[in-house]
Amino acid sequence: MNIYDIVFYLFAAITLVSAFFVVTTRNIVYSAFNLLFTFFGVAGLYVLLGADFVAVVQIMVYVGGILILILFGVMLTNKITNVQIKTGTLQVIPAVIGVLLLAGVLIFKVFLGTEWKSVKTDIPVKTTAFALGKLLITDYVLIFELLGILLLVVLIGAATIARREK
Amino acid sequence: MEFHSILNSLTYLAPEITVSAALILVVLFDLILGKNKKALPVIALAGMVAASFFVFQQMTFNGFAFSKVSQPWINVGMITVDSFGAFFKSIVILATVLVIFFSFSSEEIKKSFDRLGEYYTLVLGMVLGMFLMISASDLLLVYLSLELVSLSSYVLAGFTKLRERSSEAALKYIIYGAVSSGLMLFGISILFGMTGSTNLYVINSLLQAPNINHLALAFAGILIFAGIGYKISAAPFHFWTPDVYEGAPITITAFLSVASKAAGFALLIRFVKITFISGVAPSGHWQMIPAFPWKEFLIVISILTMTLGNFSALWQTNLKRLLAYSSIAHAGYILMGIAVLSNQGLIAVLIYFGIYAFMNLGAFFIVMLIANKIGSEELEDYKGLGYTMPFLGVTFGMFLVSLIGLPPSAGFIGKLYLFIALVDAKMIVVAVIALLNTVVSLYYYIKVLREMFLAKPASPSTAFKLSPLSLILIIVMLAPVVIFGVYFNPIVEFAKGCVTILGL
Repeated sequence: MNIYDIVFYLFAAITLVSAFFVVTTRNIVYSAFNLLFTFFGVAGLYVLLGADFVAVVQIMVYVGGILILILFGVMLTNKITNVQIKTGTLQVIPAVIGVLLLAGVLIFKVFLGTEWKSVKTDIPVKTTAFALGKLLITDYVLIFELLGILLLVVLIGAATIARREK
Repeated sequence: MEFHSILNSLTYLAPEITVSAALILVVLFDLILGKNKKALPVIALAGMVAASFFVFQQMTFNGFAFSKVSQPWINVGMITVDSFGAFFKSIVILATVLVIFFSFSSEEIKKSFDRLGEYYTLVLGMVLGMFLMISASDLLLVYLSLELVSLSSYVLAGFTKLRERSSEAALKYIIYGAVSSGLMLFGISILFGMTGSTNLYVINSLLQAPNINHLALAFAGILIFAGIGYKISAAPFHFWTPDVYEGAPITITAFLSVASKAAGFALLIRFVKITFISGVAPSGHWQMIPAFPWKEFLIVISILTMTLGNFSALWQTNLKRLLAYSSIAHAGYILMGIAVLSNQGLIAVLIYFGIYAFMNLGAFFIVMLIANKIGSEELEDYKGLGYTMPFLGVTFGMFLVSLIGLPPSAGFIGKLYLFIALVDAKMIVVAVIALLNTVVSLYYYIKVLREMFLAKPASPSTAFKLSPLSLILIIVMLAPVVIFGVYFNPIVEFAKGCVTILGL
């Protein structure tokens, strides 16, 4: 077990434990704060994979943007902290059997039984942002332009929903 | 760096560029014109007409666009232009043009007049997404175009904000949509992990290798089908359909039931045919990679879809819900044609879709006209409509007869070709089940006709004047339904010319 493995398990544990609390706490503010650690743990995993740009974007967009938005939403909506969120469980035994079966097949047959395509690289010393940018305007230029239109459409859609109807 | 390939690719993308330009023009003119919004539908229509010109060019036009600049030795691209795609694009254009005309006479849309700019922008956004879905041969583009279609349709489903059902429809749609697109992404990630590529053609050549884990591939296939199955409302991913179809404005319901389904089916056929094929036999049957039993899988899903759709429709008292379940059943019939996995099945699917577009849009249009007049879509309020609105009653009856698939309507020809394809592939049992399903569907379609013609009108007859535009629209949609029922050669020849899917 080298240092990378230890760091990996650390980040994985942070992600899993906090994700568990996101789902189980009844208070939406606690959920939101636990979500922060989940996003952070995932960002750590990205760094370990050598995807530094994605990791930074993960922190900027999810932690800096979406999470803050959720917290503001909670704070500005005065009644929302008192709302009882329904986190009850139904049909526990069938659900556990189903999930365990699916997880067993997924882990032992799909993930351990497949020859995944892997690329051997050293941990990159230089950042990936340059290569990513270059790919976005060459190989993936269509995807990049389409994303622009997608964002425009989403923006207009969000404005339509948010607008007050007379 | 060679940028020629990108520049060359642009010529293949002409319809999509036209639609994007129309979208941006609608946004701009909405800002410039302010209160006067008469020009917006005209711009949208002009964009669609221009796009249809380019799509007709693509009927005889094959090629890949946007291949990788950094890997020039891979000669396949993200976009595949072929006559199969052109066929489905023309169905989308047809549906869009008709729906824009529907919106002229829809009371629901007139009420939200000041948001007309957003309406047409979102419709065009959906069209762009559907065009790209139809010709996508790269998983990244597949996902992104699917999202573009979904995100626009969520907003459109909840467009009439003053009605509670509309907001409920949008919310249900977005929740189901998010789950199934999540499942699809999971499937895509497994496929990518196994092959290291997102291009369907490259994935296909890598999957020919013998040491593929069949279980993982099946898992990926089912998960990706979940994303597409949600778009075409195949069971068990159909739960959103009745609620969304009922809550959304009728124009959008009609659009979802034809255009969005066309794009979904095109994507499904292209995905199955490109990714999992190993060769085409001289008889036209596709030889599939033995890794995943697509045939059996599609047969089960199609039987499930049509049976659930038809039997749930029996108890419906709301016309929009009834037509929603009927559209689920029709998705089942079409899936059956795909399950044949042969060129003949593909021709049958194309013929069926060409006819389905006219009859379904027609049925929804008349439901909309009646709702404009009496303000209801409940079956109870249809009592005696055959006497108070004879023209609408009779034409609605003709569309319904075609939806059942009785001769001499066009719907019969569509079903006939599907059954011939099934019998040719020796899938007699499936054909019999589909036939029995058709018999079941007879009951609920006829129930509507019975209410209209055999029940006494609840209220004294009110004068109903049909606007000239509505009359022309009805005739435009009715003519193919009647003519293709007796003279079906043109549509069959047209479909036969459109089976080229680039690839093996």
